[in-house]
Amino acid sequence: MAVFSADRSRRPAPPSESDAATAAGFPSPARDYFDGRIDLNRHLIRDPTSTYVVRVEGDSMAGTGICNGDELIVDRSLTPRDGAVVVAVVDGELTVRRLLLGGQRIVLRAESPGYPDILVAEPSELSVWGVVTRCLHHV
Amino acid sequence: MSEPSPPPAAAQRIALVDVNSFYVSCERAFDPKLAGVPVVVLSNNDGCVVARSDEAKALGIKTGTPWFKLAESAPRVGLIQRSSNYELYGDLSSRVMELLGRYALWQEVYSIDESFLGLAGTPRDLEAQGATIRTAVARHTGLPVCVGIGTTKTLAKFANRIAKQNRHLQGVCNLETMDPAAVEAIMSRVPVTGLWGVGSRLGTKLDAMGISTVADLRAADPALIRRKFSVTLQRTVLELNGTACIPHEDERADRKQLIFSRSFSTPVTTGAEMRQVMSIYAQQAAARLEREGQQASILTAYAGTSHFSERAASFPSATVRLPSPTSDPVVLSRAAVGALESQVVEGVPYTKAGVMLSGLESAGAQPLFEEFVSAQERRNLGELLGKVTDKYGAASIGLGLAGMSTATPEWTMSRRYSSPRYTTEWSELPVVKAV
Repeated sequence: MAVFSADRSRRPAPPSESDAATAAGFPSPARDYFDGRIDLNRHLIRDPTSTYVVRVEGDSMAGTGICNGDELIVDRSLTPRDGAVVVAVVDGELTVRRLLLGGQRIVLRAESPGYPDILVAEPSELSVWGVVTRCLHHV
Repeated sequence: MSEPSPPPAAAQRIALVDVNSFYVSCERAFDPKLAGVPVVVLSNNDGCVVARSDEAKALGIKTGTPWFKLAESAPRVGLIQRSSNYELYGDLSSRVMELLGRYALWQEVYSIDESFLGLAGTPRDLEAQGATIRTAVARHTGLPVCVGIGTTKTLAKFANRIAKQNRHLQGVCNLETMDPAAVEAIMSRVPVTGLWGVGSRLGTKLDAMGISTVADLRAADPALIRRKFSVTLQRTVLELNGTACIPHEDERADRKQLIFSRSFSTPVTTGAEMRQVMSIYAQQAAARLEREGQQASILTAYAGTSHFSERAASFPSATVRLPSPTSDPVVLSRAAVGALESQVVEGVPYTKAGVMLSGLESAGAQPLFEEFVSAQERRNLGELLGKVTDKYGAASIGLGLAGMSTATPEWTMSRRYSSPRYTTEWSELPVVKAV
């Protein structure tokens, strides 16, 4: 990934614990070789094989600080939890929303007034493309 | 499936993992609308079909079909076309390969979309590992893979084919956990050309000798096969019978790509050494292209530390589009050296590195923009290759494509139906709707 092109540090995960290791994130064993500058890749990318940068179009998440034109860092390997901001597939489009799993129904909620909830009828119909871990907000 | 008896102990086996309809799957990973519809990916200049989704195969579309023959009926049958987006494919390939390496004792990247892996475990355990690998690749990249497991590369390839063609296996086939009678039945049904390394011409010759199926070849006399054909085919016979004898290859080529990769017995620990490695690979690749009368449009360079290294982990990789399709050693060297330059961590012990060229086409299909430049530079080739140390790497040497550069290639190939370069260009990131 050329945009994030510094070293891609992580420790290999034994297959049997891959999910646990993935969830915990990889500390960076390459830190010994660090040359002193802040490397955003190291701090913002937990795993380069599953991390993507996307660009936001629209203002339905402005209430949580995610605005039109901002870039998001998305990790596709994370398990979406209740309350996570996710990129979900809605009508064939990648859509950013907050995922609410706690109620009777699964809800994809906007974070601005005037945007109705998207209700997911069946858990099997929920298609989460990835979990948002950071917003690169333009100030 | 019957449990083999007595229960076999844990053993080392070979897995062949490959991505189903790789180019199409890459397109689908970022565009949910393409799920379940017929999709084809077209060659350079949108000439002809190079990849098909299952749905497109079901429409009877063949690889190599010129696009103009399909264009008119496409809307009617719901067929969607994409220009080849090799930046995207190269980047996703390096993600998949890095991820696969985490699960393996050893890894041999075989092509842009397939890799041999060394695995260890009991037969059931290996099957579970296959499923874990499949899930991990799907979760990290959105790409579907199949896993074939066997005692030799040839059998792993064959198992992979079985996994692909039998949906109920859910993408994983370990020949050792299958009912031996079922394996036998499949081998007697599959034509010999269904094997790794047996092309149609060879198939015709074998057929004439009464060797028409995989089972026939497995039962053939290896010495006779060597006499009548080659050591290569003799190896296939031995491998079908469980004797692993196909060595690791540092250089592999097919119609789609060319790969040079190697593991180092003594790790490469400096940027200067890595530049030399990249330069050598690129020059070897250039010579090979020249011999085959081919040119490449995309270069992917990658390197990695050992997965067993306690000291450091670093897996740099970069995919760049070349200024124009080329087999020029100067251009390829600059691209390979420059692409990886900024990502190689000084002092980290790299144990493997490789260069992959893709978007191959016959020489002469494109005008050569860089010819004049190269003629000038060839005279001081050695010096030049040693001097490409600008921290902006590729951008500084006129390949304005890598990393943060916003320059566009001077190469205006027709790519009318191209998807964005979602993972390699800041200006072409996937759009997510906040509506």
